[in-house]
Amino acid sequence: MKLRIKVDPDLCIGAASCVTVSPETFQLNEENKAVVLDHSQEPNGRTYERWIEVNEDEKENIFLAAQSCPTLAVFIFDEEGVQLFPEV
Amino acid sequence: MHYVIIGGGIAGTTAAEELRKLDPSSEITIVSEEQHPIYSRVLLPHYIKGKIPRERVFLKKENWYREQNIDWMPGVLAVHLDTKNKFVTLSNGREIEYDKLLIATGGEPRMLFENSHNISYLRSLGDADNFLELLNSCENNCNGEVFGSGFIACEYINLFAHFNIPTRVSLRGEFFWSKILEREPSEFVNQHLKKNGITLRKNVSFSDSFVEEELKNKSSIFGIGIGIETDFSWLKESGIEIKFGIQANEFLETNIPNVYTAGDVAEFYDVIVGRHIRAGNWMSAMTQGRVVAQNMFGNKTVFELVSSYATNILGLEVIFIGDVSKEASDEVRLFGSIKEGGITQLVGRKGRLVGAILLNRNSDRQIITDMIKNKVLLPELVEGNKKSGNN
Repeated sequence: MKLRIKVDPDLCIGAASCVTVSPETFQLNEENKAVVLDHSQEPNGRTYERWIEVNEDEKENIFLAAQSCPTLAVFIFDEEGVQLFPEV
Repeated sequence: MHYVIIGGGIAGTTAAEELRKLDPSSEITIVSEEQHPIYSRVLLPHYIKGKIPRERVFLKKENWYREQNIDWMPGVLAVHLDTKNKFVTLSNGREIEYDKLLIATGGEPRMLFENSHNISYLRSLGDADNFLELLNSCENNCNGEVFGSGFIACEYINLFAHFNIPTRVSLRGEFFWSKILEREPSEFVNQHLKKNGITLRKNVSFSDSFVEEELKNKSSIFGIGIGIETDFSWLKESGIEIKFGIQANEFLETNIPNVYTAGDVAEFYDVIVGRHIRAGNWMSAMTQGRVVAQNMFGNKTVFELVSSYATNILGLEVIFIGDVSKEASDEVRLFGSIKEGGITQLVGRKGRLVGAILLNRNSDRQIITDMIKNKVLLPELVEGNKKSGNN
């Protein structure tokens, strides 16, 4: 399945909890903000937002990473554009 | 099996969530001093600045506790612990028995002796609401007074700056984090603050008479960040070993069987840095919540994490990684300088890298975290730097 992962850099404070939980999906940039990776890769360069193809385990891990963010700066959407996290 | 969790913050709530996954049929109780469902204290500055609405600070809704079949007791304190007969006495008079107990009560801000309507602390949602009321009542004509020289003081500096309020900071010593930072990084922070229009008042005692005199200035908002303290009085007869925090091993077990601890209150044995430490940050508290749940359930799991804490003071990036205590270290090295616009302070013990403070050197973060985790020796680090041409 595909997920759209988005980090709001204005909310991100560089706590790095997402990086700790899911280092293959999140990394901090020079500004100490989390950027989104695609299985540890950065096709088309650094970005705060990306579509990723994931399996169930990977999805669970990305949710765990998003839940661990103290500022809820990580947003997860499904293919229909529905926001899965944080719950609306 | 009845799991009782004292403390409804991020460590306690994460533990409860994890325990529910591991043990669907167990009884789980959370005793929480807070009246609200769990919220993110880290989001309070964002809420005050208007970046997010108030309801966005909450991490769980009230019905989450019901859905998870967790007996949530808000607005209640634990007042006594009997570890022999395995029960906790609560402030509402109830006594609850436990099979496994988790103490995750966090820390409270050190309060001034004096009280006044224009004093602000920044620990709870109520404090954030109060700060907004103070801002509204001062009608663009107030001063910001910050007492303290740590992370909470930084939050107040940023908040006052956001609302264009002239700010003066009173420091107990001469510098921020004076027990941690070396001279040059300390000067770097002070110079940065002064450059950004902050007035610094040094060597302030915060004595009762000083505070009393200061508070007469009714046109000021006083942001207090003079440290954290923990109330252990309810554990006095429990037999639990307490030093700076509740002593725990690497499994977050206390010296008393079936009693565990996690979060800011825990002084646990850190297997990476090789000593007991308290790690008062979100990342550590949440991860400890997960690990302690595994141990309470019976899956022996070592808590192992190089945690970090980051802030930005008026554009200066500050990152603490691992064990930064200068007192517990035997070697400190600096890389970079004020002139270069960034400094990294490495902290070593027994020849090993155990912690670091980064000022405007974000790009060092990952590599240093990995080095601490991999127990890199300090001489090796210097060799590595020579080879790569860094300084």
